[in-house]
Amino acid sequence: MFLHSRRNQIWLGLLILGLALDLWIIVNHTPMIPQQHWAQKIFYIHVPVAWTAFLSYFVVMIAGIAYLVKKDNRWDRVGLAAAEIGTVFMSLVLVTGPIWAKPIWGKPWVWEPRLTTSLILFLIYIGYFMLREFGGHPERIARYAAVLGIIAFLDVPIIFLSVKFWAPEVQSHPQVEMAKQPTGILGPFFYSLALFTILYVFMMLFRIHTLKLKEEVQSHAV
Amino acid sequence: MFWDLLKKEFLIELRSKEISASMLTFGVAVILIFSFSFSVSPRTMNTFAPGLFWVMTLFIAVLGLHRIYAYEKEFDAFGFLISAPVDRGLIFLSKWVSGTLFLLVADLFIAPPFYLFLQLSARPDPGMNFLILLLGNLGLMVLGSLVSGLAMRAKMSEVLLPILLFPLASPVMIAATKATAALWSGIPFRDWQIWILILLTIIISFGLVGFLVFDHITEE
Repeated sequence: MFLHSRRNQIWLGLLILGLALDLWIIVNHTPMIPQQHWAQKIFYIHVPVAWTAFLSYFVVMIAGIAYLVKKDNRWDRVGLAAAEIGTVFMSLVLVTGPIWAKPIWGKPWVWEPRLTTSLILFLIYIGYFMLREFGGHPERIARYAAVLGIIAFLDVPIIFLSVKFWAPEVQSHPQVEMAKQPTGILGPFFYSLALFTILYVFMMLFRIHTLKLKEEVQSHAV
Repeated sequence: MFWDLLKKEFLIELRSKEISASMLTFGVAVILIFSFSFSVSPRTMNTFAPGLFWVMTLFIAVLGLHRIYAYEKEFDAFGFLISAPVDRGLIFLSKWVSGTLFLLVADLFIAPPFYLFLQLSARPDPGMNFLILLLGNLGLMVLGSLVSGLAMRAKMSEVLLPILLFPLASPVMIAATKATAALWSGIPFRDWQIWILILLTIIISFGLVGFLVFDHITEE
């Protein structure tokens, strides 16, 4: 029903066109960086995907606080949708990160703070879904999930700092070097970032809608 | 009220000895496995030892956490506890403090065989070593008490507890291991004080969060 609405169909069409355009710009109209060559192109996907994943986990925390304060199921749906979409994006971060790292660092995995924090958060959220699956009563699950969403996001800066000081020799995240690179990068990058953010909002609205329908069907069945 | 809750935890443990006995036996068994698994030179073992010690502590912490909540599942004792007019934040504090003390005692008993079996040669300052042990245990147990509260009434709680705790506790493990390694290598404190600050940050921030949200975790 979500996609039956004319407005949503237009948004979906625009997003597909926008993503195709993004890919075309990345391949044909972004400068080739010395030493990084084609591998660097994944930067235009990797960073927006990582931004969206962290934004999504931040939304899980906000929804968790709102649920604990208001005890309104709408916030639980927001939290669950954000957790699911955040985990999808986070798994993309963990795939695109090593693709970029291999030619830059010579090995697919280095204990770089951002990448390591992403991996740890991803693992925490695997546990989050298991807790949702095995937590028991739906109302209790919503409370537990809200608390875990808050704890998980609070852990992010501490994990980041710990890993940063744990492996101080691994500081050369490719993103840091980007600032020194030729112009012509920022335009496509911010276009990609905005596009992924809009895609995220669209996915959130869609998932919240389906979760609401699922809840209605379950309440009718009872 | 906090002291009464703490007394309850200690009385139960004094009578049953479930937590300390299981932690101690398991800890020694883990050291035995470590000794057999790592046939390396004493020098290499000295480099590995801080990490191994904290891995062992994490394992026995999980075992202890499981028992701390498990015995209150019987006859729904926990249900009675939370229906009493007690601030639930205090229940969290009592679980955290008692868990830390049980873990600390277990660690202190396990440390000599650990040192002996792995043939370690480091001579760290005992006061500083105890401080790292205390902070590391407080850090592990603050997250552990929160996660145990979440996992306690779930199906497969014994599986959920380590799955949730291990990634969440990774900064505690990093900080405690690094601080221990630095102390055992004789590095001056000012060069590794950051790890103590990270441990304190974890203890204070999650202690406060736990105190505030435990009410929601235990709500019926």
